[in-house]
Amino acid sequence: MLIPLGAILGFLPLLLWVERRGAGLIQDRPGPNRVGPFGLLQSLADVIKFFFKEDIIPTHADRGLYLLAPALAVFAALSTFAVIPYGATLPLKRGDVPLIGADVSIGILFVFAITSLSVYGIVLAGWSSNNKFSLMGGIRSSAQIISYELAMTTAGAGVILNAGSLRLTEIVGSQNGTWLHVIPKWNAIPQLVGFVVFFVSAFAETNRTPFDLPEADAELVAGYHTEYSAMKFAMFFMAEYINVIVASAMMVTLYFGGWTFPGFVPHGIVGAVLSIVIFTVKTLFFVWVFVWVRWTLPRFRYDQLMNLGWKVLLPLALLNLFWTAGLIAARVL
Amino acid sequence: MAGFPAERIAFDLAAAVMVVFASVMVVHKHPVKSVLALVVGFFALAVCYVVLSAPFIAAIQVIVYAGAILVLFLFVLMLLNVEVEARIPADRRPLQVVISSAALILFAGALLSLLRREGASVPAGRSGPAGAEIAPLARLLFSEYLLPFEALSVLLLAALVGAFVLARRESS
Repeated sequence: MLIPLGAILGFLPLLLWVERRGAGLIQDRPGPNRVGPFGLLQSLADVIKFFFKEDIIPTHADRGLYLLAPALAVFAALSTFAVIPYGATLPLKRGDVPLIGADVSIGILFVFAITSLSVYGIVLAGWSSNNKFSLMGGIRSSAQIISYELAMTTAGAGVILNAGSLRLTEIVGSQNGTWLHVIPKWNAIPQLVGFVVFFVSAFAETNRTPFDLPEADAELVAGYHTEYSAMKFAMFFMAEYINVIVASAMMVTLYFGGWTFPGFVPHGIVGAVLSIVIFTVKTLFFVWVFVWVRWTLPRFRYDQLMNLGWKVLLPLALLNLFWTAGLIAARVL
Repeated sequence: MAGFPAERIAFDLAAAVMVVFASVMVVHKHPVKSVLALVVGFFALAVCYVVLSAPFIAAIQVIVYAGAILVLFLFVLMLLNVEVEARIPADRRPLQVVISSAALILFAGALLSLLRREGASVPAGRSGPAGAEIAPLARLLFSEYLLPFEALSVLLLAALVGAFVLARRESS
């Protein structure tokens, strides 16, 4: 349970570095490169800065909720990882240890439930700040997350249908193996449409560009976290990046076979470690895609966002559900 | 459940939290805070479901009620920027007292008579792994309870069409 938690928190400064240097790479400039080798210690310097900044609570803010909001955001982001399997079974002398925080029977629903709660952190921050820009950010966020959650869960239903289980370990297990000895049995291949819907919705759920309307700095200053400073701001920042990691891990688990790889059969401790490496590499690929997209695409307009969610993604997700059901009925899958 | 004290304590604690926050929801003067109290109450209810070995219902409870419906409530309250609710004028106070105490008595009576007939204990043989598995639930839903299930979807469709008609712009 503590291992994935430590791993994620350890990855955060590195991810921040990748984001900034990646931005530099894409925009043809160096990016932060002065603190430490290749600017690697820049994130550390920023954390120290956050600790020493003045911690301001606006006079007319709702104090309790204002303090609660960033904690809620981080809590929701972190607790999702408890049910994602990050490796095969680790055989130790005192018995086999499954590499997953808690293998609950409703794994995928647990993830959806917690992501649906993550909106409260943002909405409460927006409302309790007593600032009209923050409020606008909170309102936008609630509308956006509800709209895209529908498409996301409908796309996820296709995966559940294929695995015949809500347990994430069984969803991973159902994607083990190959078709015709070459093509991996990943859900992304028969359910490509479902994956694309899930992928786009994941960007909206994590408030990343091109869907970062809740913070939209050009029009809303910084949206829901305008009034936050010091570590409380850093907590929203952390929550965003943890959500990026979790969304990537979910995409890998649901559509790209989790820790499995065609031809790979985990044996002993080495096998378990290798399975973690496979999972990590797959996840980091999608984390990079998040960074890549952020510095490539401009932000949507609000009406475009709503049209895309309701008129394009939701029908596509439903189509994917029927398509998957058809494949299962025809015994292709 | 009865033999294992830790689960019993978790259930009682969650039930207590639920009752307290449900009361806060009713009593609190600020609509946004009321909604938030209701969120906590729903969460505690989900914990109760988990202890009663029905994790599926618990997850659905959180996704649908805490995660979607109450967010919509908050959305509307924030959009309209509803402030602290207006006090009821003094001349209507007695009427309010009479109606609310009548409701209280009615509710308590119904609850008591239900407890008298069924007893407070969980019927034996009901709990167990059945709640954890989704397949038996789906089988029940699509065989024995098919008609109510379909009737509910028609009801939801009717509500959807109604909302659409109300929200539609008048074309000139």
